[in-house]
Amino acid sequence: MVLQINQLTGGYSKTPVIQDISFNIEEGEIVGLIGLNGAGKSTTIKHILGLLRPHSGEIKVGGLTAETDIEAYRRQLAYIPESPVLYEELTLREHIQMTAMAYGIDEGTALERSGRLLEIFRLETKVDMFPTHFSKGMKQKVMLICAFLSHPNLYIIDEPFLGLDPLGIESLINLMVEEKHKGRSILMSTHILATAERYCDRFAIIDEGRLIALGSLESLRLEFNMPGATLDEVYLRITGGGIADV
Amino acid sequence: MSDQLFRGRMNEDIARRSYYGKFIFNSHFLIFLTITAGFFLYSLLSLLETLEPSAWLDVIAAFLVSTLLIPTYRTLLKEADGIFLLPYEAKFGKYLSAADRYSLTLGIIKPLVGGAIAVFLLTVGHSLAEIVSFIAGAIIFYILNFHIKKAVINSSLSNPVMLASLIGVSFIFLLLILQSPLWLLPASLVYCGGLVYARHRSHPRLDWNAMIDYETSKLNSYYRNVALFTNVSHIDKQFKRRKYLDPFLWQPKGRAFSKEKMYEYLFYRTFARSHDLPMIILRLILLFGIVMVWIGNLYLSIIIVLFGIYIIVLQMSQIYTAQAYLLWPKVWPVDRGFIQRSYVVYSHKLVLAISILFSLIFLGIHYEYFFLIALFPLWGYIINRSLSRTVYKKEKELSD
Repeated sequence: MVLQINQLTGGYSKTPVIQDISFNIEEGEIVGLIGLNGAGKSTTIKHILGLLRPHSGEIKVGGLTAETDIEAYRRQLAYIPESPVLYEELTLREHIQMTAMAYGIDEGTALERSGRLLEIFRLETKVDMFPTHFSKGMKQKVMLICAFLSHPNLYIIDEPFLGLDPLGIESLINLMVEEKHKGRSILMSTHILATAERYCDRFAIIDEGRLIALGSLESLRLEFNMPGATLDEVYLRITGGGIADV
Repeated sequence: MSDQLFRGRMNEDIARRSYYGKFIFNSHFLIFLTITAGFFLYSLLSLLETLEPSAWLDVIAAFLVSTLLIPTYRTLLKEADGIFLLPYEAKFGKYLSAADRYSLTLGIIKPLVGGAIAVFLLTVGHSLAEIVSFIAGAIIFYILNFHIKKAVINSSLSNPVMLASLIGVSFIFLLLILQSPLWLLPASLVYCGGLVYARHRSHPRLDWNAMIDYETSKLNSYYRNVALFTNVSHIDKQFKRRKYLDPFLWQPKGRAFSKEKMYEYLFYRTFARSHDLPMIILRLILLFGIVMVWIGNLYLSIIIVLFGIYIIVLQMSQIYTAQAYLLWPKVWPVDRGFIQRSYVVYSHKLVLAISILFSLIFLGIHYEYFFLIALFPLWGYIINRSLSRTVYKKEKELSD
């Protein structure tokens, strides 16, 4: 088990934003974290990253909690935020070197791994530039390169397709599938349900801070008696949207 | 209504200045200012007693005043104004008139101080009529410079060319007025011609983008000046690429390519590429060096060096604060203690280099007291240690 979340309740202050959330992620599994704006997806992610302290409940990554050994816990994670967060004073090459040093990757391995990623995302000619001067999509690619460089057990990707061009989306999907086949897991929060439907093994649907459905598309169709329905349709039905009620 | 809008923003600007003023004019700085100003005045008066009338005095006075005669122009416009106030442009006159009044008063201190020093110098060899004409010329130039500057900002004319031209023209005419007060008349005519030309080239309507960009650059430049003394979080353009420094930046190899050294690697780059910090430090060392040479007093030199190191160390801690609060140190599998330990190594090295520079200047002036230079690195070490602890404590409290 890569990720175990047991009865997690938490938020930014004493008032909980998410309540009693429980789900697991197995090795080599891609799980889509789905929910409306403000449903509690980012709060859940921040709890997994150890940026917020749970009010109650427990989160384990690779059997470890953030309290027992924060460094070993974080070594198993790579995070790609919704909006790129970059060092204004570092070049792309230096971002790669910082990430490598942080994850204990030696220089040669970092060079080898990053060379391939730079090629995939077509940034090999821009390594000595400040990424803060890049477009939003290119910045997002820098975040992806740094994350995929570290080969963690679990990738946490918040809105992975936001700002990426079609080639970038395709490259990212290929990388995600490749990592999945290597036994690495991905938790991705997204609103692009048509893509999520094709690549996620299971879905955790959050609404108003609570986990209201969990399972593969097939199991959700069965549970809500919607044979042949798309993820969009199932989602709208579960969250009380219009189409399914008409 | 538009003047009310300006009044609100003006009060906000005054509150901002008053907030940062408390940090700038703290007790240490006031003591330093009083001592330096006292010594400066004393040495200036002593100098005047021995000075003979000379054309060079006129040149110095005219140059000093002409460089200070460009008033600041603060419209206090905000980015959103370019969208929300566009339909309101026709009724925007009162706002801009209020901005004119505020700007003229805001920038008055520098020409007043510079003018006073110039008048002191001009008392050597000039009649009262010449000095009064010089002052009258300076006042007229100050007001006309302001209107020309305003018109140029709202035009496609180049701002740096305008600044250089205004300084050059006012310098020449101030010098000529000192020879004969009658030059005041042609000077005023030339200035009025310049104003007519600038207004002719000015856009018939407000160039909102140019005006807002200008205001943003002025606000940033204010923040950068404040950043000399205290931490300012919202400065734009905080970094410059400075590719030529890349070969000098430490590149960790082998065992040093590790999480223990990663923040030191980062701090060197943050410093070398900081938009202002290296230049501010160089300017401060240069400025303090000039003051030390000018005054040539042993005790004051020691005070200046100690104060110089103090103010630079105060500056440096902003680098630590900026890194400690970023997202990545909270997400990376790296002990946060490494940020602090790396900062200690980086900052002590930098403070030592700065202390050595100050020591060299001190040796150049007071070489017979060479043994006193041992004080400076020691002071740098103590002050860096003490100020860094305050920063760590504040960061710990905030992260808890």
